[in-house]
Amino acid sequence: MDGLLGEFGSGDALARAESWRYSRHALRALEQLPFRNAAGNAQLPLALIERFDWPQTRGHRLVFVNGALAAAHSDAGTSGAIVETAADGAHTIRFRGKGTLHLVFANVASDAPSRWNTTLHIRVESGKVCVAEQHVGTEGADVLGALASEITLGDGAALQTATLGDLPGSASLARRTRISLGNGAVFDSTHALCGGRFQRFDIDADLAGAKAHLASRGVFALRGREHVDVHLDVRHAARDTTSDVLWRGVADARARGILHGAITVAPGADGADARLETKNLLLSPHAEIDAQPVLEIHADEVKASHGATVGALDERALFYLRSRGVPLAAARSLLIAGFCRAAFARIEATDLRGPFEALLDAHLPQNAEVA
Amino acid sequence: MAMLKIDNLHVRVAGKEILKGLSLEVNPGEVHAIMGPNGAGKSTLGYVLAGREGYEVTQGRIEYDGRNLLELEPEARAAAGMFLAFQYPVEIPGVNNTYFLKAALNAQRKARGEVELDSMQFLKLVREKLAVLQLKEDLLNRAVNAGFSGGEKKRNEIFQMALLEPRLAILDETDSGLDIDALKMVADGVNAMRSANRAFVVITHYQRLLDYIVPDFVHVLADGRIVESGDASLALKLEEHGYAWIAQRQAPVEQRAGAA
Repeated sequence: MDGLLGEFGSGDALARAESWRYSRHALRALEQLPFRNAAGNAQLPLALIERFDWPQTRGHRLVFVNGALAAAHSDAGTSGAIVETAADGAHTIRFRGKGTLHLVFANVASDAPSRWNTTLHIRVESGKVCVAEQHVGTEGADVLGALASEITLGDGAALQTATLGDLPGSASLARRTRISLGNGAVFDSTHALCGGRFQRFDIDADLAGAKAHLASRGVFALRGREHVDVHLDVRHAARDTTSDVLWRGVADARARGILHGAITVAPGADGADARLETKNLLLSPHAEIDAQPVLEIHADEVKASHGATVGALDERALFYLRSRGVPLAAARSLLIAGFCRAAFARIEATDLRGPFEALLDAHLPQNAEVA
Repeated sequence: MAMLKIDNLHVRVAGKEILKGLSLEVNPGEVHAIMGPNGAGKSTLGYVLAGREGYEVTQGRIEYDGRNLLELEPEARAAAGMFLAFQYPVEIPGVNNTYFLKAALNAQRKARGEVELDSMQFLKLVREKLAVLQLKEDLLNRAVNAGFSGGEKKRNEIFQMALLEPRLAILDETDSGLDIDALKMVADGVNAMRSANRAFVVITHYQRLLDYIVPDFVHVLADGRIVESGDASLALKLEEHGYAWIAQRQAPVEQRAGAA
């Protein structure tokens, strides 16, 4: 079955949909490629393994090679996760109580364009769980991955996710997440999306239980012709639910970024408190970022705020740094990195900031021309 | 040779002429105060010296150590020993104060052909300077000026000056918004750095700061040029009579200019 990929490849019907408005051309270009199914038994080069073999997540790791769960590289024995695979290939990952899991999706090149399609169900029944999700690939990997996850958080459960989309310029990823939160559940997510020919993130969250809380933070930092399209859809469906969305985007050269953030407060969801902020930085006259905040409120007693900006580097800050002796190129790099890091300031688990900052440092546009 | 020689400087900002023939010479070891009413061009002078974009020099020249200052990029001026303490220090969220200062100091040292400091040497230097200004060390772990109070921002400017050890420091209304304790602290920081080979240009609106940083020369800047120069007592006369007094004295100068 084709699942998400089938939908992804269903052609004009999808390309015409409003939510694909800014990614139509990228989608159509991808459709021209004669994809075949990616080999799940491909060998992982050592250099790729080194990128995800973090010592602190040994025993907590599931590795998927071209979408297929690779037992040889996986060991989640101490993660607290119960992993089951259904007949249709979908994996269910369950937590009862505390857990830490490192999910790795490795894209490995073959001699023709290839694609994979994987479905995960993540159920946190109780306790506090931390999941790091890392997407990596070999250079030249002409791979299109489609990953769908259904996340269910039980009453009082908490899930913290950290997603690192670190793809080579040839690889693409369509990532769909649907989250349902029970009473008092907390979903706290951070993303850093770099590289890739095309990355699409659809994040639909349903704050179905009273006092549920969602935090979504993220950064995309794009160069060349990279294209990242993030669609956040947060629905406040119960009383006293809260959401806090904070994203930063940077685009250089001819890169394209899209951040669509929609917040809906359903009838009866009184006491809802929703915040959405997206700030974006254009480093080239040919780069483009579309920031689209949408608020739809159907309840009375609601606090909601949103703000979206797209701009260039702050000339005053640049001059301030230079007046202290920091050369122009270094001053620009400092400001761009600082701009992005603001999105990580609220990460509670400070040891998680390391991988994020390292990824960004490696990907931030360095010597871009002033727009 | 004068360290700084400004000759008949005319500067236009956003199409409007702000400085209209300003001349000033500063020698090593001297402290010059520049006073003047709002809108006289005091901050423009500071920005032109530090090299901010958008300040167009239409006439005149500035020499620093015998070189044409206007040809140098802002970072090259800093490496050559120039420092501007900003009237409104810029908040830069996400950029760590220590990281920024180390990058700045080492970039300057590198540009001068000096050895860069390692982390230990840098921290030692930082602690020495913090103690002088009675600043808390946690200030270093915060983002540059982000969330600082007005007084903390100004003290951070003086702290940066102490760390970078410039040869020519321009203080742009560093006294504005400071209470008397913070003012004394800032003045102590400046006085501790006064030396025979370092010069200061202290831009201020009020005489109060000059009670604590006693200048060798006081200049009155009005309508884009220096209209009166004297010793420290000039500041006291200004305090007594107000800037209107200068405006009266200035009138004949303009008539002469008109007749010429």
